Amino acid sequence: MSVGEGSELVRRCRAGDGAAWEEIVSTFSRRIYNLAYRFTSRADAAEDLTQEVFVRVYRSLEQYDPKQGDLQNWLMRLARNLIIDDYRRRQRAPQDSHAEDLEGHTYHLRAAGGSPQRELERRELGAQVQAGIDKLPPDLRTCVILRDIEELSYQEIVDLLKIPEGTVKSRINRGRIELAKILRRMRVVAMSDV
Amino acid sequence: MLCSEFEDRLTDYLDGALASEAQRAFAEHALRCPVCHELLSEVKNTIVECRADVPPAPSVGLEARIMLKTAPETAMSCEEFEEHLTDYLDGFLPATLFHRWERHAALCERCTELPGQVVRSIGACYSYISEERPVPAGLHARILQATLGTTEAERVRAPFAARLAEWMRGWLDAVVAPQFATVATMVLIAVLVGTSTLSDDGSIGGMYRASLRLAAQTYQHGASTATKAAQSDDLKRVAESLENLVGQPTPQAATTAVGTDQKPAESNEQTKPAEGGQPPQEGEQKDR
Repeated sequence: MSVGEGSELVRRCRAGDGAAWEEIVSTFSRRIYNLAYRFTSRADAAEDLTQEVFVRVYRSLEQYDPKQGDLQNWLMRLARNLIIDDYRRRQRAPQDSHAEDLEGHTYHLRAAGGSPQRELERRELGAQVQAGIDKLPPDLRTCVILRDIEELSYQEIVDLLKIPEGTVKSRINRGRIELAKILRRMRVVAMSDV
Repeated sequence: MLCSEFEDRLTDYLDGALASEAQRAFAEHALRCPVCHELLSEVKNTIVECRADVPPAPSVGLEARIMLKTAPETAMSCEEFEEHLTDYLDGFLPATLFHRWERHAALCERCTELPGQVVRSIGACYSYISEERPVPAGLHARILQATLGTTEAERVRAPFAARLAEWMRGWLDAVVAPQFATVATMVLIAVLVGTSTLSDDGSIGGMYRASLRLAAQTYQHGASTATKAAQSDDLKRVAESLENLVGQPTPQAATTAVGTDQKPAESNEQTKPAEGGQPPQEGEQKDR
């Protein structure tokens, strides 16, 4: 979506055009839902969070200024802020027992075979990466998701989390090492180079 | 040339150390005598083989082991090694640290696998990026219900006046912004002119006269810019009243006539669902 298309959609939304808003929802919901899922690792929580993000986006449409960047950047920045705020809030008051569910799960990759098998493995790898990320301490987890999955630059992470660059760097470094060790224990990494 | 002579000069020939006359005689003999020709090729081949036979490269750890024996103070701890891992992978490690880091990687059994594991783990993250989950069924409808108040977005149409108002607002933003820049420039010039001319004739009276003159000028600038600003405000009011004519006339819309950035969300919520014939359904939105 180009800058012009984005600002045209927002302009139509502001005027009260429901179809334009629906287009924004369907264009960005998948990305936002996935981001929410990576932080919550629960489908229901990710759904609620995605809805919350869109309600906030809808109310903030007036603040969107095409001169400050395209719609996707603005929208994803807003989404990241909200999702990380939510994540931090939940860390202060943890209540989900989801981590325990994962502990009991055994992880191993099956030998390479036909394409349905491969597809299964691919999905399993995704589930295992997510399970590995879930095991990281919250600070490291946030940084690893933002750097290695959301592919933000160090500076973007500094701006988003409002912590010094040195802290961001050391958390990414520590998070990567911890994740590698977790995945090795789960035998994901060791098997993938066979 | 005799064969014994040929043998004597062979090394000089191969080194290119013979005088041109002797060189020619040597080459002629090599062509004429099959035994000496054979000898020459054999020697040549042997030399090539000798040169090709280089000893195997020392193991990766040799340099590291020598350094550990001779300069143990330059060894790196496992903690330091881990601390610098990302910088190493990113290529940001300065040369001195780089070599110490690589030596630790070569020697420490506990750490030697780690960089490879981290690289593969990052690779796993990247492959996870492409594995996007599909949006669950019903989520779009939930979002539309929570924002528009209905799942049938197509029915929520922008009224003509609202579209016109929105268009004018976009147009005005473009027109108004440069005008404020002009106002700011004029004020700045007035201040600059003021500071450089106030004490022109040196006397206090002169200063008063100059300041009175400048005050008059500034007032004129101010009046003309105020008129312009008023004009653009008028345009905005026209836009708002057009919106109000067709939409629901709300006191909210009237108060936001000038400061369009103030509380925009509320005015949105009040006008939009009204067009769709349904009240806003804020209660629908799930509180988490």
